[in-house]
Amino acid sequence: MISHMPPGLIMILAAFLLPVIPHVWRQIYMLGAIALSAYGLFLGAGTHLVWTVLGLDLILYQADTLSLPFAIIFHLAAALNVIYSWHDRDWQQHCASLSYAGAAIAALHAGDLVSLFVWWEATAVTSVFLILASGTERARQAAMRYLLFQVTSGVLLLAGAAILASTSGDIRFTKMDLGDAATWLIFIAFGIKAAFPFLNGWLQDAYPEATPTGTVALSAFTTKLAIYALARGFPGTDILIWIGAAMTALPVFFAVIENDLRRVLAFSLNNQLGFMVVAVGIGTELALNGAVAHAFVHIIYKALLFMSMGAVLHQVGTIKASELGGLYKKMPFTMVCCIIGAMSISAFPLFSGFVAKSLTMSALGDAGIIWAYFVLLFASAGVLEHSGIKIPYFAFFAHDNKIETGEAPIGMRVAMGIAAFLCIGIGVFPSLLYSILPYAVDYHPYDAGHVTSQMQLLIFAMLAFVVLVRLKLYPPEIPSVVLNSDWFYRRLAPMVGLPLLRMIMLVWSGLLHQTRGLVNAIWDRLDRIMHSPLAGPTVSGRAVLVQAGLLTLLLLIAYAAAG
Amino acid sequence: MSTPSSKSPSDLQRLGGSFTKALLGIAIVLFGLEFFIHRHGVVSAEESFMFPALYGFLAFLFIVQVGKWLRLMIMRKEDYYD
Repeated sequence: MISHMPPGLIMILAAFLLPVIPHVWRQIYMLGAIALSAYGLFLGAGTHLVWTVLGLDLILYQADTLSLPFAIIFHLAAALNVIYSWHDRDWQQHCASLSYAGAAIAALHAGDLVSLFVWWEATAVTSVFLILASGTERARQAAMRYLLFQVTSGVLLLAGAAILASTSGDIRFTKMDLGDAATWLIFIAFGIKAAFPFLNGWLQDAYPEATPTGTVALSAFTTKLAIYALARGFPGTDILIWIGAAMTALPVFFAVIENDLRRVLAFSLNNQLGFMVVAVGIGTELALNGAVAHAFVHIIYKALLFMSMGAVLHQVGTIKASELGGLYKKMPFTMVCCIIGAMSISAFPLFSGFVAKSLTMSALGDAGIIWAYFVLLFASAGVLEHSGIKIPYFAFFAHDNKIETGEAPIGMRVAMGIAAFLCIGIGVFPSLLYSILPYAVDYHPYDAGHVTSQMQLLIFAMLAFVVLVRLKLYPPEIPSVVLNSDWFYRRLAPMVGLPLLRMIMLVWSGLLHQTRGLVNAIWDRLDRIMHSPLAGPTVSGRAVLVQAGLLTLLLLIAYAAAG
Repeated sequence: MSTPSSKSPSDLQRLGGSFTKALLGIAIVLFGLEFFIHRHGVVSAEESFMFPALYGFLAFLFIVQVGKWLRLMIMRKEDYYD
């Protein structure tokens, strides 16, 4: 019975009991729910559960070689998050993160667009509580903006599905060709969650406002669900190569100057999504393997980086580069884990990023898309700059800020340790990862030429960093806010919109005033007629006058009908 | 748990010095390997001598420089949105 339930659904149902389970047992219970959900994956490929509602076939559980690797890593990320937040007694957050992960996993197994919409929205309404849990006004506002974008994405998806249902009657979630309104609506819906350029503001705005544990959960699911959706719905769509290339390159510059280290990671997350979007855009078997492999390893090393910064935030109370530094002796384990995450995301050989990113780069080379190849190569130096160097450097080294603290709670350290182990394990034994990719892999990342190329790129980029620091040319950390695409609706829209709204209100109140004056003038005139008519009796009240008027009208209508 | 502060700027400077030396060491090894290993490039330019090294070095400088310019345009005080 359980095995025929859509994976993830059991996690959502299990979340309802969390408030009544005492701490620690709650964590064990959550791990059990995740394991039970993962057990459902053993049912294998195929369509396992279909409901027919209002003449539509809702495919609630469908699995194939594309959904499997995402499902595995989503379960793993959910489990890591439970371990990472072991110390946390706040059941609301656990409830949110377990049901959020469950919704994302259920979405992976939706075989039609309406089921996908349900889980798509469920990820939004569950995850928003991880931001709200911070309890600050700033977080509350960011959460509302986040929700607005997420729900808009869902509404667009539903609109696209509705058009498809009414035109073709086919709402199965399969490969689509961009062209008509429906496919564009769905494409933009996916694009919002994948943080396409100018649709990305919510990501850097909201993720860093969540709790230390909440950001780890957020980093794993929503955006990678969008990558999965793009890989299923729009593989080989050329425009994705342009969009993805822009996503890899642009956030790099923002990350250099951002002071909030979790926000730096949010920019970095955006840049990594770019690599996956490019791979989906190429659409060949090698490229799609690259997108999936990248998503898989990215969830681990990005979670590891967010976990290490969350640990710093948990211990020190701030994550601003300008207030940190010199923590390498106080939090050595966290520092080592952070560096392993940093080396993985930078794609050092023997680390997980290398074996995944190589697939996409090779696919670009094979497809002969040279310009994009060099943009991604450039972005690789950018990744090294912000995630490889800036994050560990400013948190653990830079300058000694005399911060008195100790290592993070044991749960946090265990989760970081497991993630770090996986980063190296996958890097050293890539065949483990390659064996679960959608297409058969005949690829060997470790040839001498490839390794030396990558090492040259990384080591000399690091030398550039050393040169800049020694010459004091590296931009210092400044307490500041870096404007991003959210500026358009947080500042520009109010700047233009508020005066416009004020003008409309002014015209409206003027109109109301005029109308009220006109009505009063009419009543005054009628009152005069009522009290001093030219002929006949006076009328004692306005109500009587209205009744007399209506009766007269009725009489006239009756005469007209009779005539 | 709090331990007495034992780190000092000189510790960090020493660490920085060792890090730089290690980097230079690896860079020299990579330079030497360039004479023995044939790297495959997507385009022929990529196969030219120490191309990835130069690309990485310049890309890094470019990113940081553009970041500095960007600061002039889009950096605001911390309470900008408050």
